Amino acid sequence: MAKVIPSYPFLCVITDEETSPVSLAEEALRGGAPMIQLRHKSADGRVLFDWAMEIRKRCTEHGALFIVNDRLDIAMASGADGVHLGQEDIPLRAAREAVGNTMLIGISATSLNEAMKAQDEGADYIGLGHIFPTISKEKHHPPLGLEALEKAASLLSVPVVAIGGITIENAPALISAGAAGIAVISAVSRAPSPLQAAKELSRVINLNR
Amino acid sequence: MRWLRDRKHMLPRICIISSGKEKNNEGVHLTALVESIPENVHCMLQIREKHLDGLTLYNLACLARRKRGTRKVLLFLNERADIALVSGLEGVHLPDKACSPSALKKGGLEMLFGCSVHSPQSAIEAERNGADYLLFGPVFDTPSKRMYGPPQGLEKLKEVCRLTQLPVYALGGISMETAPLCRDMGAYGCAALSLFLDTAALAGTLEQLNLLWQK
Repeated sequence: MAKVIPSYPFLCVITDEETSPVSLAEEALRGGAPMIQLRHKSADGRVLFDWAMEIRKRCTEHGALFIVNDRLDIAMASGADGVHLGQEDIPLRAAREAVGNTMLIGISATSLNEAMKAQDEGADYIGLGHIFPTISKEKHHPPLGLEALEKAASLLSVPVVAIGGITIENAPALISAGAAGIAVISAVSRAPSPLQAAKELSRVINLNR
Repeated sequence: MRWLRDRKHMLPRICIISSGKEKNNEGVHLTALVESIPENVHCMLQIREKHLDGLTLYNLACLARRKRGTRKVLLFLNERADIALVSGLEGVHLPDKACSPSALKKGGLEMLFGCSVHSPQSAIEAERNGADYLLFGPVFDTPSKRMYGPPQGLEKLKEVCRLTQLPVYALGGISMETAPLCRDMGAYGCAALSLFLDTAALAGTLEQLNLLWQK
C-alpha cells in the first residue's frame, strides 16, 4: 500500500537543475521537510536513478516521503513512494492502472478544472500553482493567487499543495487559505543555507496550524 | 496474438528506428511507416522521438499499437520504460546512459530490454545487467551517428558478437550492400533509420533483409 500524505501542514522540497539533488535533499531533510521531490529535466536516466537511490535512502532514514517528478520508471526502479506528473506527462489513468495503489500519484494543476479532473481520476494530491509570480519555471499564465487556492482547497477533498513563488513571508497565508502543504524549489535551493531555509519554512507553516 | 507469447525466443532480424521527425500526437511519419510494413514481415520498430514530452510519446505509442493491428511488429520505445509499460508496448530500448535493465526489472517493469552499446566492454556489461538484445554501432560511417564517434568497423562488430550470447544488431550505415557483411561477422540482425525512410520501397527492403538472414 502507498504511504500517506502528512496530515499536518507540510513542506515539500523540490530539487532544481543547478544544485546537487542529493546534498539539497539531505539539507532539506535535516531542515525537517517530510517530502522530497526529485525533479531534473536534463539528467540522463542512469544519473537520475543513482540520485533517486541516494535520496530514497535518506528519506527512509528521516521518515520522509520520496517523490520522483515525471519519470515513473525511475520512481518504480528506485522504490519511491510516489510520482509527480504534470499535464504533459503520462496520463494519470494510465499511470494508476500500472501502479495501482502501491504508489502515490501527485498531479500538477494550473486551474480548478485541471485539479477537479485529477481528483476524479484518482490523484492522491494536487500541486496547484503557480500561486505567486515565480522565476523557477517558464510560465504561460498569470499567477493564480490566494483566492483560487482557497476555492480549490474548499472544493477538493484531496490535499492541495501550493506551489510557485513561495517565500517565508507568504507561506503562512497559503496554509491559512487551506493548502495542505507547500512545495518550493528556489526558496530552499537558492537560499544561502538550504538547511536553514527548510527549517524556517517548516516552522512558519507549522505555527499556522 | 499467439506469436507474441514466444517473442523472447524469436526476436526479428530487423530493427526499424523511427524518423525522429514527429511533431505532435498525429504521428504522420510513424503511421506511414507502420502501415507500409507488410502483414507477414517479422520486424521490430523502435519509436525514437526524444524531443517529445511524455504525454505525446504515450499517445504515439498507443497510436503505433493501434496501427500495427495484426502485423508481426514488436514495438519498442526509446528510453522510457514507464511509457512503454503503460501503453502496452513489448519493450524499451535503452541508450548508453539510461537506467539499467536490471534496476528497471527489479522495480516491476517487465518487458523486453534492448541496449545500445559502443564497445565490447559495454556489451558485456549490458548482458550482465539483463539486456535481451544489443544494438552495436556505428559499424559504418553515417551522418546521423557521427555524434557517437568514428565508425567502429566490422572487426569490432565481430568481437562483440563473439563476446556475448545475446542477439547483436548492427547499426550505422546499414544498406543492402553492408547488411550481408554484418551478417557474416555474426550479427543477429541489423538496425537502421534512413534505410527505411522510403516507405514506398519498405516492403521490398524488409523482405530482402529477412531473406538475407535466412541464407
